[in-house]
Amino acid sequence: MGQPIIQTENLKAYYITQAYGVERTVQAVDDISISINAGEVYGIAGESGCGKSTLLKVLLGSYEPPLTVVDGSVTYHLDDQTIDAVNLTPEEKRSLRWKDISYIPQGSMHVLNPVRKIRDTFHDFISAHRNVTRKESMKMTSSYLRDLGLPDKVMGSYPHQLSGGMRQRVTIALATILWPKLIFADEPTTALDVIVQRGVIQMLKEVQQREGSTLILITHDIGVHANLADRIAVLYAGKLVEEAPTRTIINEPKHPYTKFLIESLPSLDGREERSSIPGRPPALDHPPSGCRFHERCPLAKDICLTIDPEMISVGPNHRTACHVVAEELSHEPAI
Amino acid sequence: MTLLRQYILPRIVQWFVVIFVGISVTFLIPRLSPVNPVDQAMGRLTSFQTMDPEATLQMRETLLDLYGLDGSIIDQYLNFWGRLIQGDLGPSFQSFPTPVTEIIGAGIWWTIGLLGTAILISWVLGVVLGSLAGYFPQMWWSKFLERVVITVYPVPYYILAFVLLMLLTYYWPVFPLVGGSRGDPSFTWEFISSVLYFGFLPALSLVIGGTAFRFIMAKALASTEITSDYVQYAELAAVPKRKILFFYIIRNTMLPQVTDLALSLGTIFEGALITEVVFGYPGVGYTLYNAINSGDYNIIMGITLLSIVGIATASLLVDLIYPLLDPRVRLR
Ligand SMILES: Nc1ncnc2c1ncn2[C@@H]1O[C@H](COP(=O)(O)OP(=O)(O)OP(=O)(O)O)[C@@H](O)[C@H]1O
Ligand code: SF4
Ligand SMILES: [Mg+2]
Repeated sequence: MGQPIIQTENLKAYYITQAYGVERTVQAVDDISISINAGEVYGIAGESGCGKSTLLKVLLGSYEPPLTVVDGSVTYHLDDQTIDAVNLTPEEKRSLRWKDISYIPQGSMHVLNPVRKIRDTFHDFISAHRNVTRKESMKMTSSYLRDLGLPDKVMGSYPHQLSGGMRQRVTIALATILWPKLIFADEPTTALDVIVQRGVIQMLKEVQQREGSTLILITHDIGVHANLADRIAVLYAGKLVEEAPTRTIINEPKHPYTKFLIESLPSLDGREERSSIPGRPPALDHPPSGCRFHERCPLAKDICLTIDPEMISVGPNHRTACHVVAEELSHEPAI
Repeated sequence: MTLLRQYILPRIVQWFVVIFVGISVTFLIPRLSPVNPVDQAMGRLTSFQTMDPEATLQMRETLLDLYGLDGSIIDQYLNFWGRLIQGDLGPSFQSFPTPVTEIIGAGIWWTIGLLGTAILISWVLGVVLGSLAGYFPQMWWSKFLERVVITVYPVPYYILAFVLLMLLTYYWPVFPLVGGSRGDPSFTWEFISSVLYFGFLPALSLVIGGTAFRFIMAKALASTEITSDYVQYAELAAVPKRKILFFYIIRNTMLPQVTDLALSLGTIFEGALITEVVFGYPGVGYTLYNAINSGDYNIIMGITLLSIVGIATASLLVDLIYPLLDPRVRLR
């Protein structure tokens, strides 16, 4: 595994809105520190509304009020340069985007201009960053699409003439045509049927492996993570609750929430009953005190109601934030 | 081929039906009205001079024929179409016996020139400025433009026109008070420049009002466009703003904008009554105004028919342009 390519430290990003003089603060990303290495596939998992997309927007440096970074830092390490991603100027953004950092958005069904042919959209995006003639950008596009196994005729199509799965693949191609080092993908397989999903996963894998790009993959679907990710971070209500290599997360989850997530996966033979997590995720404008999971946690103790658990290391590359896990660890005989 | 059969052909048929029905209604309405135009005309004629009964009767006959009011209603209707197809709309009564077609023909080019130019200019200005203002709502010039437009827009047109007229022909007389040109129509710079000179003020009054309306519409459409996924994605990818403005924002608002443009072009044939009267401009609006004042039925009828054809043709054109503007229409 390579050097860190993107890091956050104690990152806090809140939606701060003001309506009729009443201020409302949604703590969508709260105190998250992660470090992602060059060339890895880093999965971010968690229920709907836990702050996955918000974290991604901040990592990407693409956010505007009401979303505000209230504390902490995001740093890129690109070509021996250290870049503060919280305060990017428009020029820096223009020079980073697509060439170094790219993004496959959530719900990318509608990101293609409906009145523009696919090839023109590609030309717009390529020529924004490379000094190319139309002929050159067309050549780049058609050879890239061919490499990715997309039919030639999509070039001359309008978005509405393509199926959902094809549109998603075209979007992935559009996002990665300039070989970015860092690719963010937000729910790239959601809303696709299983067969198409497999194709898209395969395509992401190819794109990532070709130049050894870093892929930051967001999805609530642990199955997709199991397929693609090297490491997984589990978010709950704006907090990072556990992070470990994929295998570890799936085989030995430590945090009670992660355990629920893994148990709720359909097993391979499909015979086992799927258990879902009791209760609902909390609203983030008034998150629960202490551990944010305590209302739904079967192991919750008094301390969980008042004190926010700290991140502790529980194994190689494995960390989690839970009082009970910490306690168990301290009782274990030292080796 | 299927496009022709399933899309174009039905619309052309529809065009014929609309015109047929519209013209038939235009034929019927004066005949259902309790006021008989022949009696009216007779009244006007006999009020100036006395005529002997023989002559009066003959006069009446002639008028009935000229108005196409003799025979049963079916005969009248068939006759009406027969004449219409030959381009005969009967004579004007005010300037008897000049044919209506000639009188309308004299005014129509002035009107088409004035309104066509004014509508096109205000459309382009309004769409570009409004979309710019919608794309960059935080800029000072955007707020400034919007404030100007919001001030101008509610001013009634006739007040705007009078203010311009007073300012630029009376207090600061740089433009002529009435008329359309100097000299006889010819393809010389002298004549053409005089047309521009005489047309400037009425055109300006129309452009101001038209641009304000178009600006508001374009800004509203652009404000919706900028929240769309494809605009936001292109922004994120740092596609140049100019390209986003024209190919992502404006291009996606073309459907309603072009529809509206074509429909306003279709109303040209009614003339711009207030404009032409205020500025003494020799177009069909002015002709219509005079015809209404003097009860010149044939002229009113002629202008009505013309605007029916104009509006029907405009909506036919809109339908035919749709597939070019929005690729999604082609599949339907
Ligand atoms: N513009 C906004 N203003 C205020 N609150 C917001 C805004 N956008 C999102 N939120 C809130 O922030 C929290 C996190 O949202 P986010 O979109 O990051 O969740 P997510 O994990 O991506 O969910 P999903 O799986 O549904 O995409 C949610 O509680 C949401 O209600
Ligand atoms: S800290 Fe307490 S409430 Fe939170 S997950 Fe651990 S046991 Fe449950
Ligand atoms: Mg999301």
